[in-house]
Formats: sequence, structure tokens, C-alpha cells
Amino acid sequence: MTRPVRTPAGIRPALAVALVLTLAAGASAAWAGRDWYAAAHDDSAGYAVQRDEALAAGEQAVQNLNTLDHKRVEQGLDLWESSTTGELHKQLVEGREEFTGQVRAARTVTTARVLSGAVTELDDRAGRARLLVALRITVTTPDSKSTDKDSRMLGELTRTDGRWKLSALGQAPVGGTAAG
Amino acid sequence: MPTPRHHLNRRRRQEALADRPAPGGGSRTPAGVLTEPAPRTGQRAAKPVRETAAEPKGETEARERSARSSGSEKMGRVPLAVLCVLTLLLGGFAGWAYSRAGELRDDPARGNTALTDLARTSEIKGQTGAAVAALFSYDHADTAPFERAGKTLLTGKAVAQHRTLLGGVLAKAAQQKTVITTTVTDSAVERIDGDRARVLVYADQSSVSTAGRPSKGKAAGAEDQGVYAGAMFAVDVVRRDGRWIVENIDTFGR
Repeated sequence: MTRPVRTPAGIRPALAVALVLTLAAGASAAWAGRDWYAAAHDDSAGYAVQRDEALAAGEQAVQNLNTLDHKRVEQGLDLWESSTTGELHKQLVEGREEFTGQVRAARTVTTARVLSGAVTELDDRAGRARLLVALRITVTTPDSKSTDKDSRMLGELTRTDGRWKLSALGQAPVGGTAAG
Repeated sequence: MPTPRHHLNRRRRQEALADRPAPGGGSRTPAGVLTEPAPRTGQRAAKPVRETAAEPKGETEARERSARSSGSEKMGRVPLAVLCVLTLLLGGFAGWAYSRAGELRDDPARGNTALTDLARTSEIKGQTGAAVAALFSYDHADTAPFERAGKTLLTGKAVAQHRTLLGGVLAKAAQQKTVITTTVTDSAVERIDGDRARVLVYADQSSVSTAGRPSKGKAAGAEDQGVYAGAMFAVDVVRRDGRWIVENIDTFGR
């Protein structure tokens, strides 16, 4: 008779189903684990983070360098210097006294707003980046008249001690010639 | 008074009664056949048995079976439990890893593939630059390229925006013999999110009107009237049929 075979067969299908489920769970665990590992060790993710850090720091620095209140020149220029590095920093330090005098005489208040910004180049190993910042600068003269001016800024960033700082800043030339 | 007919009928009834257990007994074999697939469920084993005379036999068989098999079932339960625990552990890990991967992917820095996807970044930069140049260049002598650009490179609200931006110029263009040339000098991709992207554009625009100069010999002088202007704006582009076309023109409120 088939009885001896029939008896363990009662649990055998359950075992088979359980085995299939376990294998399926194992396969999905392997897949999800690999997916997670890939996501956690994604080089482009680290690069994207650097890009966003450089952009945030760059936009802030460009804004800082276009903001100055004649009543608080020293504070303003301190901020300029802390936002910059390299050649630009050197120029600012050298021209500080002269510039302070000019601003105090003109008695202007300059504020800036970043309209848009984007990184064009990023070398995250060398710690260098270039960015475009569309800026709206508002200059208020002593007679409370204010004028808006849009500025097409081109900046260069250098990473020093883990922080991105401006090492060059200028306006995009108009008409194919370097206008500033 | 039993008639032969009565006799016959009774006989038939008796025969029929006697016959009944006969198929019942004969059904022992079919009952065995029926119970064969039964061990899978257990409930099914009882069903066919209930209808036949072999009922008690079937039940005892089932009881015997379960009593006999309890030993091997216990043995089978250990790997079953192990498999269940393994399934739960593996499934749990899969769920956790999946959600971790999702969290990492949802990081806004990663969602933006500007620069991280260099091929796509330069593709967008190139096509946006070409689109902007075509959309904002106009030659009164040959308006076909301008019209073609307006039809093929714009979509959504950019159609109206483009018309508003150039409306004033176009109204007088034919009369003033205007030639506008736009060149993108710098551009940077701010954001790429799949088939959408935002590009910051710096463009130079030269505008020349050659009308109002009757003397043709002074054409060169007329050319000198050209006005150079630097423009900056951001465009939202979308990918359609493998091409990036302009969906929105942001002139920053100007």
C-alpha cells in the first residue's frame, strides 16, 4: 500500500511552500541588500553632495561680496574676506582701506539677492569649481533712492579646509569682449 | 394474496436492498482511490467517506494515519519552523535594505543629476543653447528659421512667454528691417530631474535695424547702429522625442 508514503506527505507540501518562500525572501534580501549597498557607495552621490555644497557656499559668497552698508563697512568687509580665498582674498585685503574710504564717502547701502545659480564645473578632488550666479543688486543712495541692477556673475571656488570659498569673481562680458 | 407480480416487485425491492450494500462494499476500492489525494487536506478524506457504508472505516483510517504520522510530522515541523524564521528574517532584511536604499535615493542632492550625469548635462547645455539662439534670433529677410524654431522648440506656457518677449520687436521688425542675433555665452544646468531640467543662460543679443537709411552706400554705417545687450534668464526644458525643448522662460520678473 501507499500508506507509508502518504503519511509524511502531509507535511511535505507545507515544507515545499516554506522552502519556496524562504528562497524568495532570500532572493529579495540579496537584491535589496545589493541595492542598498550600491546606493550607499555611489560615487556620483558624493559628487552631487559636493556640487550642492559648492553651489550653496558660492551663492552665499557672491551675495556677501555684493552687500555693503556704509554704516557697517568694517563688518561687511570682514565678511568679504572670510568668504574669499586666494588671489581674490589678497586683492580685497590690499584694497580694503581705499575701498572703506570710498564707501563711507558715497554713503551707499548695497544689497544683493541671488536670483539663480548653478555650478558649471566641479573637480571635487582638486577642490575647484566654477559657477554662474544671476544676481540682482540694489543700491540705495543717501537720498533714499534705490536702483536695481541685474548682474551676471561668474565665480570660481576653491575648497580650503573643507569649505568652499570664492577665489575669483567677475561679470560675464557683454558683446564677446571682456567688459569686466 | 401475493400475486406473481407482487412477488416480482418484492423480489426486485429486496434485490435492490441487497444490491445497495454490494456497491457500498464495492465502493471500498473507489473510497480508497478517493482518499488517496485526501492526505493533502484531511477534510477531504472525510467527505467521500460520509456518503458510503465504509464511513467508520475511513475515519478510523484517518485517525490511525494521523496517530502514526504525528512522529514524522513533529520531525518535519523543525525544518518548517527554521524555514519560517529564515523567511521572516530575510524578508525583514529585504524590507529594511529596500527602505534604506530608497531613503538614500530620495536625498535631493542625488535626485538632481546635473554634473553627475555629464553626458546628459552637456546634451542639455548644447540643445538649450541652440534652442535659445534660434528662438531669439530674427532676420526680417528670412523669417522661416525663426518661425520654425517657435513651432518646434516651444511648448506649454513658453509659447506665450516667447510671444510676449518678442512681440514689441516683431511688430516693427519688418518695417525697420531688424536683424537680431542671439548667442549664448555661458550656461549652466541647475537641475536635471529625469526628463526635466532647468538651465541658467547668459546670452548676448545684438540688434540691428537697417531701415531709415535711404543711402545704400551708408549701409555699413547703419550696421554700426547695432545694440549689444547682455541678457540673463533661466529656462525650464523638457525632453520630448529625444529633444530638449523649452517649457518655461524665467526672466526673473523683468
